[in-house]
Amino acid sequence: MYSAQITRANPTCIILLIDQSGSMGDPFSGDSARKKADFVAEVVNHTLHDLVIRCTKTEEVRNYYHVSVIGYGRNVGSCFSGELGGRPIVPIAQVADYPLQVKSSYKRVSDGAGGWVEIPVRYPVWIHPAADGKTPMCEALTRVQEILRGWLIEHPRGFPPTVLHLTDGESSDGDPNDIGRQIMSLNTDDGAVLMFNCHISSRRSTKIEYPTEETSLPDGFARTLFEISSRLPTNFLAAAAQLGVNTLEGSRGFVFNGDPSSIVQFYEIGTSLTGMTPYRWMDDRTELA
Amino acid sequence: MSSAKQSTTWDLQLRQLLLPKLGQEVSECEDFIATDTQSSRFAVADGATEAFDALSWAQRLAQHWVQRKSTQTLEEFREWVAAEGRELHESWNGLTLSWYSEEKARSGSFAALVGVELELKSESPSWQAIALGDTCLLHCRNGKLLKSLPLERSDSFTSAPVLVASDSSLHESSMQSVVTGSGTCQNGDVLLLMSDAVASWCLQRFESDDLDVVQFLSSNSDEELRQFFDAERTAGRIKNDDIAIVRIEIKRSKN
Repeated sequence: MYSAQITRANPTCIILLIDQSGSMGDPFSGDSARKKADFVAEVVNHTLHDLVIRCTKTEEVRNYYHVSVIGYGRNVGSCFSGELGGRPIVPIAQVADYPLQVKSSYKRVSDGAGGWVEIPVRYPVWIHPAADGKTPMCEALTRVQEILRGWLIEHPRGFPPTVLHLTDGESSDGDPNDIGRQIMSLNTDDGAVLMFNCHISSRRSTKIEYPTEETSLPDGFARTLFEISSRLPTNFLAAAAQLGVNTLEGSRGFVFNGDPSSIVQFYEIGTSLTGMTPYRWMDDRTELA
Repeated sequence: MSSAKQSTTWDLQLRQLLLPKLGQEVSECEDFIATDTQSSRFAVADGATEAFDALSWAQRLAQHWVQRKSTQTLEEFREWVAAEGRELHESWNGLTLSWYSEEKARSGSFAALVGVELELKSESPSWQAIALGDTCLLHCRNGKLLKSLPLERSDSFTSAPVLVASDSSLHESSMQSVVTGSGTCQNGDVLLLMSDAVASWCLQRFESDDLDVVQFLSSNSDEELRQFFDAERTAGRIKNDDIAIVRIEIKRSKN
């Protein structure tokens, strides 16, 4: 299980599910300058960038991944706009070719002689921050289930889809447990759909990362998210280890009361798939335009 | 199979096999074999699939390595790779690239390389080899494995080997992983140069002692071997990767 080679003939699917409710416009605890929605949009853009680069073969992007970015708040639906607008799931080559804009900046790199130089780089933007409305988590998960059902009919073999769900609050439209379990019961020949959940908090609370059991969790909401979080397969555990994140056999893909670094690691681990080295993108750069 | 008369004492029997990944065309194969029977220099390079212009880099490394006149010291090897890398990067000047290709190009290219040179002018032929990455040289005698480099066991292969980088700023650390080796040969000895997937499979066969690999690779036709490796890759017993094999048998000349 979770060992299928990801190829163009047998691609996998990655769904980034993002809470865009009004509270995402609040800052992180202890960091009044940084709104959660702004940071999450930046991380999602970097994650899409990373996925494109992994699939880039010289001047061609190979469709190893089909990607969906679903937001929920005032509305539930695809976060893609522009050329990709309205499309629930997009082959990675088209993600590469149709960012909303490509910004320019500088990146600090080693000069090979113990020093650093800044070189110009371009980086794409696909989604903008959004924070409005309630938290219709059940409706959003139902949308994810619809997308996955359709996709799995076309792709019954290969590495199972991964759903990376990020939220800062409790569902406003019911208990997500049932629909979450239904998603986790979908599968390919290589295993069940992987669903990982990252809860982030505006409050100063102790964060809990990749627990193995729910007894350590503070409340019913945390336990619900734990129950609809898949166990991390071996390859993902290896990726976590490479990032210096403590996980154990049986750890769930679940973070509670996460901070900005938790979000970055959550996406890095969640997209590590077949054990590839996590792509570290948090480098210094100065935006030009 | 080709036969090259090397001296009054020793002949080489050479055989090569190059197979792309299942479902891909030969033109997409990123393994590259280079041979020079006159100088008895042979190399296999394996371009990293994720890297920019990986086949060009693999081709350049293997071809230019066999064209060199002698096996290098570590320092000479490092200087040579840096010069080859500069030329590769210069070949990209003037290209109009998308944002993602530009980023790939900035990271440079990567390939595994193994090169071996044989010395056949004495009563005891010998070899010298250099390798970085996970393409391997296996020295076999009477169906047994005498030596393997740079990796010695099938479980030593990882998904992230240290490779030959075209960007010399990465050489400070990567060149510390270069492995050199040498050995002496007897009549009938076989040297195998192999890219990673088939090298790992081959080392497994030696470890489990369930197949005479040397005999297997010589007694089957190219088509039979292709069918065999396609079936093994389909069944997942060999990773679906490009396959490059150079089989060099050292034979005492009949003259």
